[in-house]
Amino acid sequence: MSDSITITIDGKEIEARPEQTILEAADAAGVYIPRLCSHPDLKPIGSCRVCVVLCDGRPQAACVKPVMDGMVIENETPAILQHRKNIIDMMFVEGNHFCMFCEKSGSCELQALAYRFGITAPQYPFQFPEKEIDASHPDVMLDHNRCVMCARCVRASQELDGKNVFQSIGRGFERKIGVNGERALGDTEMEATDRAAELCPVGCVVKKRVGFATPIGRRDYDAAPIGSNIEGERS
Amino acid sequence: MSVKKITIEPVTRVEGHGKVTILLDESGQVSQARLHIVEFRGFERFIQGRPYWEVPVLVQRLCGICPVSHHLAAAKAMDGIVGVDQLTPTAEKIRRLMHYGQMFQSHALHFFHLVSPDLLFGFDADPTERNVIGVARKFPDLAVQGVMMRKYGQEIIKATAGKKIHGTGAVPGGVNKNLSSAERDEFLKEIDQMLAWCRGSLKIAKDYTLEHIDELADFGSFDSNHVSLVREDGAMDLYHGNLRAITKDGDNIFDQVDYQDYFKYIAEEVKSWSYMKFPFISELGPENGWYRVGPLARINTCDFIDTPEAEAARKDFLSVTDGKPNNITMAYHWARMIELLHSGEKIRELLNDSDLQGDDLMAKGERRGESVGLIEAPRGTLFHHYKVDENDQVTMANLIVSTTNNNTPMNRAVEGVARKYLSGAEITEGLLNRVEVAIRAYDPCLSCATHAMGRMPLVVELENAAGQRIDRRVRD
Amino acid sequence: MSKPRIATTSLAGCFGCHMSLLDIDERILELIDLVDFDRSPVDDIKHISQRCAIGLVEGGCCNEENVNVLREFRANCDTLIAFGDCATMGGIPALRNNIPLEECVDEAYRAGVTVHNPEKIVPDDPEIPLLLDKVYPCHEVVKIDCFLPGCPPSADTLWTALTALLSGKPIELPYELLKYD
Repeated sequence: MSDSITITIDGKEIEARPEQTILEAADAAGVYIPRLCSHPDLKPIGSCRVCVVLCDGRPQAACVKPVMDGMVIENETPAILQHRKNIIDMMFVEGNHFCMFCEKSGSCELQALAYRFGITAPQYPFQFPEKEIDASHPDVMLDHNRCVMCARCVRASQELDGKNVFQSIGRGFERKIGVNGERALGDTEMEATDRAAELCPVGCVVKKRVGFATPIGRRDYDAAPIGSNIEGERS
Repeated sequence: MSVKKITIEPVTRVEGHGKVTILLDESGQVSQARLHIVEFRGFERFIQGRPYWEVPVLVQRLCGICPVSHHLAAAKAMDGIVGVDQLTPTAEKIRRLMHYGQMFQSHALHFFHLVSPDLLFGFDADPTERNVIGVARKFPDLAVQGVMMRKYGQEIIKATAGKKIHGTGAVPGGVNKNLSSAERDEFLKEIDQMLAWCRGSLKIAKDYTLEHIDELADFGSFDSNHVSLVREDGAMDLYHGNLRAITKDGDNIFDQVDYQDYFKYIAEEVKSWSYMKFPFISELGPENGWYRVGPLARINTCDFIDTPEAEAARKDFLSVTDGKPNNITMAYHWARMIELLHSGEKIRELLNDSDLQGDDLMAKGERRGESVGLIEAPRGTLFHHYKVDENDQVTMANLIVSTTNNNTPMNRAVEGVARKYLSGAEITEGLLNRVEVAIRAYDPCLSCATHAMGRMPLVVELENAAGQRIDRRVRD
Repeated sequence: MSKPRIATTSLAGCFGCHMSLLDIDERILELIDLVDFDRSPVDDIKHISQRCAIGLVEGGCCNEENVNVLREFRANCDTLIAFGDCATMGGIPALRNNIPLEECVDEAYRAGVTVHNPEKIVPDDPEIPLLLDKVYPCHEVVKIDCFLPGCPPSADTLWTALTALLSGKPIELPYELLKYD
């Protein structure tokens, strides 16, 4: 194509189109850049920092940074892997992630990233913060214990469902997902068919009464690491 | 001579954390002997607020030895919460297969890995040899049998629950997978060998009991009531049934009680010296209402067993006591091996049932707010009781685990053995092991019991009346 | 040459990790050719009797006794392994960490529907260990050399780790053997 440009990721030249982000170009070329808050159906916000790569030597979130011709990107260096591990580690200790009884286990993107990175135990002290469960909605549950503040639910509700059910509120350690209802999720316009109910990467926003329907062995990341589908398309 | 205290800690070759204290009076006679359960978890409280469909997966972590029991008892309770009184045939049979697989592995584990060293080497054998590794060295064929039987049960659990320990197969209203015909064929290949080994194990337990009957009759034994689930026709049924309680002589205290009403019949006393509560039959009160559960109680309470080889073995067992309930503590081992054979027969029966390959896995019903699930776990009747609010969150959980039911009996057994063997005697490791042998007969799962789990290891300390340690024997 | 010694214990865990160790099945016979067992729930050695090459700890710390045992293991084992989610992150017992302990005790011993406790006592005898305010993963109490997560870690995970350690190689878990559930 006439408008195609060339970038380099970890020494490998790949073709890209100027309107793509680094993440999109990498995906198309079969190079997996780990990510958590990013989702192909949602506008990227560069919030979780998992997809940070070195772009001409400077750290950039691959999900928001557009490609430029000749860009040199480092994705799988030891330093970047360590940075990503640190982020995942912090997410584990700042929430209450009890994988052993979580219905998302096996299909959870946070867990899958930790598996991919070979994390055996977090290096930071566990906070065991006090968090709430909002089960007021008849069909959807919000378990703040498992929230990683990716804001996918916020964006999905606005961008895909044409609603405004969720919102990020607070600052710093107090930051959490709030709902635009009088009291709780049950008072909002949320419906079980909303995309916002299915794009949560972890077990925070889940549809009720479907937990554990998929047997162990057939869950998303039981057999192959997260990102394998992208790498599988590598030519 | 002054008052002495003996402490056995940790109690070993049982599952869970416990210790025994024995007080000797001035003349060296045992004045008190207690089994203390030293762990506490708090499941009843921290499960509150969790959504009900998580409970079967969460609560099985009470115990890694019989997680399937908790998984299924909770799933049965949650069937009630989703208004399902009758599962699909495939779901019910998959769950039963899972349960018999667990009964099989648990009984094999207890007999071969934990208890056989006492029976094969004797209570006084060198403690560094008196363990499963010693068995593997001296009796390799038997050790391999034990390992392969446990493995068979564990593989059945994995095929039905997804994992050998802490799986997810049972969900409220059904199961999440069936058994493929390929999986079934693998199990069928080995079932005859398993049954042959069951018969051999049963013979070891029976012969041991009969050869030592005079000693065992007075080894931590006592008369007691017995409780278990039985089927409507009085048959032993380890997965489902109604509650029956009998006296030491076999007379009914209550019978065919719908277990949704269990709390009208059973209460639990709290004592300051144990994290494990002390259940009793309410109408008889704490003094007289305590009872035994588990293999011995089940053989005593049921009218018959619906598999031929186990039924013949049951009749054989009861002939020792002229058809009356057997109250010998050490007869638990024999009873347990009858159940091992029964479980093997049941597994064979189920594997030959094509319903296991069915696709109709889930049933539906009207939501309810409260439900009770009971099951006969390897160690006895297991009670799970939940209330769930309109938001699907658990508001109340009450659990009476199998081993808790045997709390008073285990304490009686400890006291009986202590009085008989330790009074006025020089304390030896072998004598202390006898105390543990009596506890082991109940196959206690003290993790379960405290809604905890772990090892139950033994140190004996002698203290004078002033509390100063004057002697200490550590079992190592 | 004497064989390396292995000690194992279960603290605030469910014993499932030890059960998973037994799930190595017939490889148990290989293992006992490679190592000698010291203190373990499967034998009658109540305290570590001599220096051990490997200590396997299941469960976190929920009471004073757990802390004492963990320290005994740290002091006597060259390589101390936290195995299972309770040991590595507190696990299910840690669910009580953001609930006041008194509420947990009340629910179990005073409020339960079958509780018969007219004097409203709770277990507090000097013979039973004091509960800690919170449940702690092992590495927050002593230094841990190696972590094997899972609830429980599978038998293959444990076998892979132990055989690597015993042959002096680094532990490398393939994808299917690193799980948190």
